[in-house]
Amino acid sequence: MKEDIREYSADVLVVGGGIAGLMAAIAAAEEGASVILAEKANTKRSGSGATGNDHFLCYIPEKHGADMQPILREVLDSMVGLCHDKDNTRRFLQESFEVVQLWNEWGIAMRPHGDWEFMGHAFPGRPRVWLKYDGHNQKPALTAKAKSCGVEILNHLPVVDLCSDESGICGALAMDVRGDDPEFVFLRAKTVVLATGSANRMYSPAGTPGWMFNTAFCPSCTGAAQAQAWRIGANLVNMELPNRHAGPKYFSRAGKSTWIGVYRYPDGRPLGPFVTEATKEYGDITCDVWNSAFTDLMLDGRGPAYLDCSGTSPEDLEYMRWGMRGEGLTALLDYLDEKKIDPGKRAVEFMQYEPHLIGRGLEIDIDGQTSLPGLFAAGDMVGNFRGDIGGAAVYGRIAGRQAARLAGGRSMPTSGAAAEWRKNRSEYYLSYLGQGSHDAGWREANLALHQICNDYIAAGPHRVRSATLLKAGMEYLEQLRANIRQEVRVANSHELLRLIEVLDLMDCAEVIFHSAGERKETRGMHIRSDFSFTNPLLSDKFLLVCKSPQNSEVSFKWRSIRN
Amino acid sequence: MPPVIDTEKCIGCGLCAEICPMMVFRHKPEESDTPQVLYGDECWHCNACVLDCSQGAIRLRLPLPYMILNTDAANLKG
Ligand SMILES: Cc1cc2nc3c(=O)[nH]c(=O)nc-3n(C[C@H](O)[C@H](O)[C@H](O)COP(=O)(O)OP(=O)(O)OC[C@H]3O[C@@H](n4cnc5c(N)ncnc54)[C@H](O)[C@@H]3O)c2cc1C
Ligand code: SF4
Ligand code: SF4
Repeated sequence: MKEDIREYSADVLVVGGGIAGLMAAIAAAEEGASVILAEKANTKRSGSGATGNDHFLCYIPEKHGADMQPILREVLDSMVGLCHDKDNTRRFLQESFEVVQLWNEWGIAMRPHGDWEFMGHAFPGRPRVWLKYDGHNQKPALTAKAKSCGVEILNHLPVVDLCSDESGICGALAMDVRGDDPEFVFLRAKTVVLATGSANRMYSPAGTPGWMFNTAFCPSCTGAAQAQAWRIGANLVNMELPNRHAGPKYFSRAGKSTWIGVYRYPDGRPLGPFVTEATKEYGDITCDVWNSAFTDLMLDGRGPAYLDCSGTSPEDLEYMRWGMRGEGLTALLDYLDEKKIDPGKRAVEFMQYEPHLIGRGLEIDIDGQTSLPGLFAAGDMVGNFRGDIGGAAVYGRIAGRQAARLAGGRSMPTSGAAAEWRKNRSEYYLSYLGQGSHDAGWREANLALHQICNDYIAAGPHRVRSATLLKAGMEYLEQLRANIRQEVRVANSHELLRLIEVLDLMDCAEVIFHSAGERKETRGMHIRSDFSFTNPLLSDKFLLVCKSPQNSEVSFKWRSIRN
Repeated sequence: MPPVIDTEKCIGCGLCAEICPMMVFRHKPEESDTPQVLYGDECWHCNACVLDCSQGAIRLRLPLPYMILNTDAANLKG
């Protein structure tokens, strides 16, 4: 290992080059800040938006009318609506059309058929809020834009730890994974924007246990921001409220609302009350609001549940195929074609996927700043606002802009404590290197974590949590940590990265154990057998949790949801 | 394992290894022109490598457990 750690510095550091990260970097650079963006893989094709998306949540006054209130209500009633500070949601909606227009300018087809078109994810008779666009080239287009603004993109450079001192955030430690030997790099910055996406691979894949990369969202997104911010004392919020996505069985893939069909029982009856015939305008929103249906029907024997597109018109089936390409579902399309599965004739079984963290995580204020001054967050890892692609794009922009403004008034942090700290942290990670034939690898660590999460912080439906289960599970998590420390060794930088991902996921699990214990009620898929009711007094409150970096004490705070 | 490279078509440009979000490939031109599929079981099946390869040299093989369950829609009746 080299003695000196390579170093980069800039006004603003962006961690993660997905949708939120690229948008933050562009906005910060436009404000005149120098910006480095550290990305685990390559921003051209990384994260959950890697090969496309097709529904962009937004408010377009010329289409929706001057009153934003009905649109706000639609967002809060939608599948992304559970955990929102409404001032954030309103700010998002207000700035969303501007971002839509910018994307269009930058070469992403936001109105591929001429006009702004809202399709799918909709209740009949209610306003439609998901703009249908063609996002197949969104990552290369945003990458090109960021480069043209002067953003320095550092690919294959995952961030492994955040660095803070008395004066606040001062940068991050990252690990260059291009070569077989990992090389640590220090990224010094005045402000930092976290944008590492959702957290997957914490629970075993519901359909294909053991195939841990068969996830609906990108399995390279492993809760880095939540874990790293937790370690330096930031507030996390709503971590205990599970989220489960749904989609085709057994190939896990998000994008369910691009399918245009009716969900049905095996006897042909529709599952939900919304439509009997699906059109591109509405689709069947049952799956957005009752996605536990697929589990319910399996466990009570009434299933399986199917998505049936055989009643969909040929024009709409063609539209669906087009949409799937923009949505990045080309691997799925290729498979359907290869196996001659024609969705117009064959009903496809759907299932509920394992829990993951999306819209659960860092608490932000109206400008995207976390509880730690100078540390910002945007995208899937935020816990008090969720808007998926649109949310990531718009709040990424808000956070990046604000991070640049704040950096303008700050001086560059000097090394001091950071030098000692980065040496300790890099040596700690490097101590896992050197695999012998008798050692456990990172996979064993990941599978062991799956077991503990599946059993002790289980998510509904039909699975419960309780004080005794949580207490036992927390102890087992600590035992696993000790075992990993002792027994896991890895061969190269790639494997070390996978191990660090598991360590981050374990920190996320730890947070869930704490906050699930504190939430003494049942809410959504957080089902407490010892508190089996939903407490209305908690309905307008959020649970914040943080850990003191000094004495590791965990503290909780209930606060009112902001309006 | 998942991505399969046709060595006849591959020109060794290294793009697939550069852009794969899961870093499934390893490309060391001094060892071999065609990238090695080193971590095939970590493939997310995002299709980026298939879409971006200018030679059409890559195809994906979905593992058997990923089969998409389906039935004749006409069967869905009481
Ligand atoms: C198939 C599919 C279809 C979807 N369709 C839609 C849709 O139509 N509409 C919609 O609203 N949403 C959709 N989504 C969800 C949407 O893609 C995400 O909400 C969105 O990408 C979130 O943006 P993000 O920036 O938070 O995360 P991502 O875009 O996932 O980016 C996170 C980035 O962080 C990087 N990263 C992770 N850890 C580190 C680390 N330690 N250091 C550095 N970098 C790191 C990752 O490599 C990645 O580039 C879909 C998702 C999928 C998978
Ligand atoms: S992108 Fe295609 S041509 Fe280039 S190295 Fe990969 S397989 Fe070969
Ligand atoms: S499909 Fe995606 S994850 Fe799999 S090898 Fe290709 S680029 Fe990598």
